[in-house]
Amino acid sequence: MSSFRLAALPAALLIASAAHADAVKIGLLETLSGPQASTGQTFRAGVRFAIDKMNAAGGWNGQPVQLVEYDNQGGPAGASDKLKAAIADGVQIVVQGASSAIGGQITEDVRKHNLRNPGKEIVYINVGAEALELTGEKCNFHHFRVAPNAQVRTKVLVKGMKEANALGKKVYSINQNYSWGQDMEAAIVDNAAAGGYQVVEKTLHDTNKIQDFAPYIAKIGSSGAETVLTGNWSNDLLLMMKAAKGAGLKATFGTVFLDQPGNISNAGDTALGHFIVHAFNGEAGGADGERFVADFSAKLGRPPVFVEPQTAFGLDMVADALRRTKPEGGKLNVNAFARAMETARVKTPMGEASMRAADHQILMPLVVSTVTRDARYKVDGTDMGFKPVKVFSAEDAAMPVQASCKMQRPS
Amino acid sequence: MDTLLFSLLNGVIYGLLLFMVSAGLTLVFGMMGVLNFAHASFYMLGAYFAYTLQGVLGFGAAVVVAMLLAGGVGAVVERFFLRRVHHHGHAHELLLTFGLSFIVAESIKLLFGNFPVNYQVPAALDGSAFSLGGQQYPLYRLLMGGVALAMFALLYLLLTRTRVGIIVRSAIYRPRMVEALGHNVQFVFMGVFGVGAALAGLAGAIAGAFYTTSPNMALEIGVMVFVVVVVGGLGSLAGAMLASLLIGLLTSLAVGIDHSLADLLGLLGARAWAEGVGGLLTLKLSSLASTLPFALMLLVLLLRPQGLLGDKS
Repeated sequence: MSSFRLAALPAALLIASAAHADAVKIGLLETLSGPQASTGQTFRAGVRFAIDKMNAAGGWNGQPVQLVEYDNQGGPAGASDKLKAAIADGVQIVVQGASSAIGGQITEDVRKHNLRNPGKEIVYINVGAEALELTGEKCNFHHFRVAPNAQVRTKVLVKGMKEANALGKKVYSINQNYSWGQDMEAAIVDNAAAGGYQVVEKTLHDTNKIQDFAPYIAKIGSSGAETVLTGNWSNDLLLMMKAAKGAGLKATFGTVFLDQPGNISNAGDTALGHFIVHAFNGEAGGADGERFVADFSAKLGRPPVFVEPQTAFGLDMVADALRRTKPEGGKLNVNAFARAMETARVKTPMGEASMRAADHQILMPLVVSTVTRDARYKVDGTDMGFKPVKVFSAEDAAMPVQASCKMQRPS
Repeated sequence: MDTLLFSLLNGVIYGLLLFMVSAGLTLVFGMMGVLNFAHASFYMLGAYFAYTLQGVLGFGAAVVVAMLLAGGVGAVVERFFLRRVHHHGHAHELLLTFGLSFIVAESIKLLFGNFPVNYQVPAALDGSAFSLGGQQYPLYRLLMGGVALAMFALLYLLLTRTRVGIIVRSAIYRPRMVEALGHNVQFVFMGVFGVGAALAGLAGAIAGAFYTTSPNMALEIGVMVFVVVVVGGLGSLAGAMLASLLIGLLTSLAVGIDHSLADLLGLLGARAWAEGVGGLLTLKLSSLASTLPFALMLLVLLLRPQGLLGDKS
């Protein structure tokens, strides 16, 4: 219930600072209602945590940074609408993370708005839409991705699992049939040589519509795969793990979103020995990691989970860029802010992270962890947690800039 | 061969689960003419009731009590909400149940949070029934199938072989005449609605442990249940059974088929052209598995609008 009190906090800040005209407004355009609300709300928690921290450090231009929240209702159409509302409210920095489909819409809308309204630009901070096209053919000067992407995640996951001797020779790729899942599938195939495996079969299935994964598990079982690599999230991961448990499937899962709340408790013992690549593991971060977990717990009443750490680190980058952007006539010049963002660099508990100017993709450290009973931080009220296997520095994790990105900078 | 057998079994069991949920919906529609949008909400309520009670009562008793509670909620909804708007016509009833489904989903989110709760199959039932070609078949799936079959048999006998069944069936066609004969038709309607809700609750209590118990579960199964009822014929219990099995088998078997239209055209020597065109022609059937039921619904609506076993009226 503590989330209610916390929800009131930004609102109070909003009212308190409404009198000042020129505070920077950050608009969160997230899925806050409907079936995927749980994902949107974790992004929100990360953003709130980071903005509270920004304001505790003095805000910008002597005023607290304002957070305005908009519910995009889980679809690109809603996001497009709410983006217009945000622009009308004077929002200059837009933040969104859940779903690449929505991210694709926002980045296009932002690009068009900036073309048509020179001098009134806005910037899109992408905290979790991980489809490659956003830093590829759709890359633009006012979009910054402060989250990893399919190529980076898969490269690190494969390396980490190989070093832990958990990567089999036969790999099954199962993903959701939209931009993110297709990117994951391509990346899993691309990493075959590096990982020394053969992709025995590839499956793309409908996104979060399937109730019964037993037919898919039967297919995986009969393919003889020793390892399953998947970018699935939400129900598609949870139900797949449960079906694998029911069928007694012996394969090891390499995942991206196993730390979404509810997954470990629902999967039970089946989860043991499976792998995840994520942006933060408190156990791997030493004293800094512990401090981050403690700070987050103090603010939100529970330790950080899922995409919350990566969102908080991404917003730290915004804070870093804001610090280095001087007000012009009391206002934020978005182009100057975007240029500062291009050279943003922050120290996260996992190591140094920086923005790559060429395609506005963050270069950040990633951790490969495995589910065990002797992890320091237990999750979901179970006796299991994520034990770090290896931390990969930002340089180790990085993938080259996509050739399709032609960045146009304002003169 | 093993794979095919597994696919068939998986399909049949999933179909039986769909039947458990859709039975109540089709029953209520057949009897009362109410298309109940909140039907899948009773499925969700059943799961959450069982999850909450499991710790106190144990799994078996929790499932039974959850079913009764869901039925009770259903009866209350009929008595105090639907009956009041009944004389305004079906559109009002539809809107009422539509609104109700949102209220239930949001209340669940408020009480239990947005994430799936930890509702598990009890350890005693959590084994494998048999294994075939290196793969195990979960015992619990067989149990789900068994419950669905027992439910179908009971309902069918109740409606066709008992006095209660006679009254219920006649109350649909000639409610005034049944009333004139001294039966309480309002009570019959309440009972039917309650039983429909209880059946959905039972399905939820059983399936929630096997799949997931989350605030989205109503939405996820709700759409498929409507497809089942439309394909089977609104109001037809046997039709719902047939359509459920058909859809279960269709989705399960399609997963194993990696062919596309391009392969079909390949037989005519046009594969290169088809692969050049791409798009729909190279889409594998397996990636469409969960969309196929909707194609089936379209087909049925075009060729036999009353559904496979529905009445023409």
